[in-house]
Amino acid sequence: MARSASSSAAAVWAILRKECRSEWRTRYGLNAALLFAITSLAGVSFAVGPLGDRTDILSGMLWVVLLFAALASLSHAFVREIEGHTLTLLRLVATPTAIGLGKLLFNLIFLAVIEAVTVPLFLLLMGGPPPKWGRFALVLILGSVALAAACTLVSAIIAQTRGRGALFAGASLPLLLPVLAAAVKGTRAQWQGGTVGAEASILIAYAAAVFGVSLLLYDHLWED
Amino acid sequence: MIARGLLFVWIAVWMVLGFVWAPVVPVLGDTTRVLYFHIPAAWVTVLALAWSMIQSVLYLAKRRMEHDDHAAAAAELGILFCIVATISGSLWAKAMWGSYWNWDPRETSIFFLLLIYAAYLALRSAVDGEERRARLSAIYSAAAFVAVPFLMFIVPRIYDSLHPSPILPSPREKGSMDPRIRTVFLAMLVGFTALFWWLLSLRTRFARVERRRLDAAAAGA
Amino acid sequence: MSAALAGAVLCSLTLEAAGLAHRYGRRRGLDPLSFRVASPGVVALTGPNGSGKSTLLRIVAGLLRPTTGSLSVAFGGESVSAAARRLRVGFASPELAFYDELSAEENLTFAAEARGLPDPGAAAGAALERVGLAARARDLVPELSSGMQQRLRLAFALLGAPPLLLLDEPGSHLDEEGCATVARVVDEQAEAGLVILATNDERETKLGTQRIELRRRGLGDPA
Repeated sequence: MARSASSSAAAVWAILRKECRSEWRTRYGLNAALLFAITSLAGVSFAVGPLGDRTDILSGMLWVVLLFAALASLSHAFVREIEGHTLTLLRLVATPTAIGLGKLLFNLIFLAVIEAVTVPLFLLLMGGPPPKWGRFALVLILGSVALAAACTLVSAIIAQTRGRGALFAGASLPLLLPVLAAAVKGTRAQWQGGTVGAEASILIAYAAAVFGVSLLLYDHLWED
Repeated sequence: MIARGLLFVWIAVWMVLGFVWAPVVPVLGDTTRVLYFHIPAAWVTVLALAWSMIQSVLYLAKRRMEHDDHAAAAAELGILFCIVATISGSLWAKAMWGSYWNWDPRETSIFFLLLIYAAYLALRSAVDGEERRARLSAIYSAAAFVAVPFLMFIVPRIYDSLHPSPILPSPREKGSMDPRIRTVFLAMLVGFTALFWWLLSLRTRFARVERRRLDAAAAGA
Repeated sequence: MSAALAGAVLCSLTLEAAGLAHRYGRRRGLDPLSFRVASPGVVALTGPNGSGKSTLLRIVAGLLRPTTGSLSVAFGGESVSAAARRLRVGFASPELAFYDELSAEENLTFAAEARGLPDPGAAAGAALERVGLAARARDLVPELSSGMQQRLRLAFALLGAPPLLLLDEPGSHLDEEGCATVARVVDEQAEAGLVILATNDERETKLGTQRIELRRRGLGDPA
């Protein structure tokens, strides 16, 4: 009796709702992540000052701040399972792929919430010309999806090791650099009046590749 | 024993020939010599990474510890060759263009490989348990495999628009001018590759013996 | 209750192990073991501490990949892989933990939803009823005593009336009434399904119709 696609979808949905409910009830993950994102933004803004129309530096700084925000927040989903010893329960009710997907969707929502606060604040604090909203949003969304896909997979690996925090940042970085490069270039392009088609394609391709590989790899993650 | 001696002689001889026999590439001047070990080192770096990743996937498929031995050993050797390539490249850059680091596409690529190696080895050191270490690092390796084509080809081009690409002859020219340069270069390429395989076989043999010793100790207990 | 159970358990179950063993690194977890059991019935799994009872249950549940040997499990003649087994067995062991920020009911409803059970809320409610936890359904897990939490584990195992029940020391932390509940649940399950019960408690051992005894060093023999 093979597990049907619809029951896997049910598992993903159930996990997503459980994550949201758990996060809402405890909120310490969200609070810590928001605090970190805002303080790192404040730090950057203080150190660099308003950038006027230096759109090249602006794009770089935006994604550095978002990178910090992602690294501070996206390992939380899996680390919480390990620390609460609930992984056994989770493994008994859902396939590894469903678990990975559920956590990924949760991380996307989590990142979206953090960005909803951080990005407007960034645009306010750092100065800079108003962005071309359509293209800006496209690069932001695609870049965030790629960030979340890579970080979710790496955090699933790292959660089972010792020394999680710094190791998560170090291990994620090689997988995040392609996202960073394409996203920075795309953000800069939309400020300088160009198109973002090429960068958007790279981001989509990369996110799809990471996601595709994750689907194959999640089955191997938890075997004991 | 003999093969090992031959290997060292081979590399030494060709290194010397590179200095006294092969001419210099006009544009590069005396720095031509760096071709003979910088590029072979970079080549071995890539070879080692590819081997490590292939072995990682094989481990996940077959679950035999020999594959993990190879993956780990190739990574340990790979990072050494990567450091050699990076430093030699940096010194060459200083001699040629006056600065140690320019973030030109080649430098960027080799730096990314260094990051991947470092992350892989750091991950291995943070996991307890032989089987779990093998499995988790293999998964990471397979994930990093996705990033490599992007890191090697796409990302380095991103900054072309920012920085002017340094006016320089492509290091890949391999001294196509003079057959003697090409000979020494190919010989060193072969020598470095052989060196890598030899060190790899040593390292994996050691890992196998160590495992057998620990198994025997545990069985006796 | 039995009618509901029989309705869900339409198939017979067989487990066959050959040379099944597990090492944790270099430490022995489970010495090579071979056995064959079939439903219906109760199998008592006994042995001293460290003999591998919990390890064996985790292997049967599909949570642990054994280092050597094989285990084939068939539901109604059809072989079931470890990955599929995880989602279909009822498993309760001391290290099974629940989400502290959710209530007992919410934990079970989540589990039922994820497993794709029809009407998850009702399934959770029914399981809580069977273990006598219905009154505390809305309480958060940390508010439950250790005995209540043990009942919650039992309820989790009973979700959706699975054909195979794997219970690791189900009587721990339980009072007289709790132990009676365990006995009742095991009896109900044994009518049409299979229970494997790992225990050192005499009262629980007596519930078994078959027995697998693990010894510290050496082979386990089905008795």
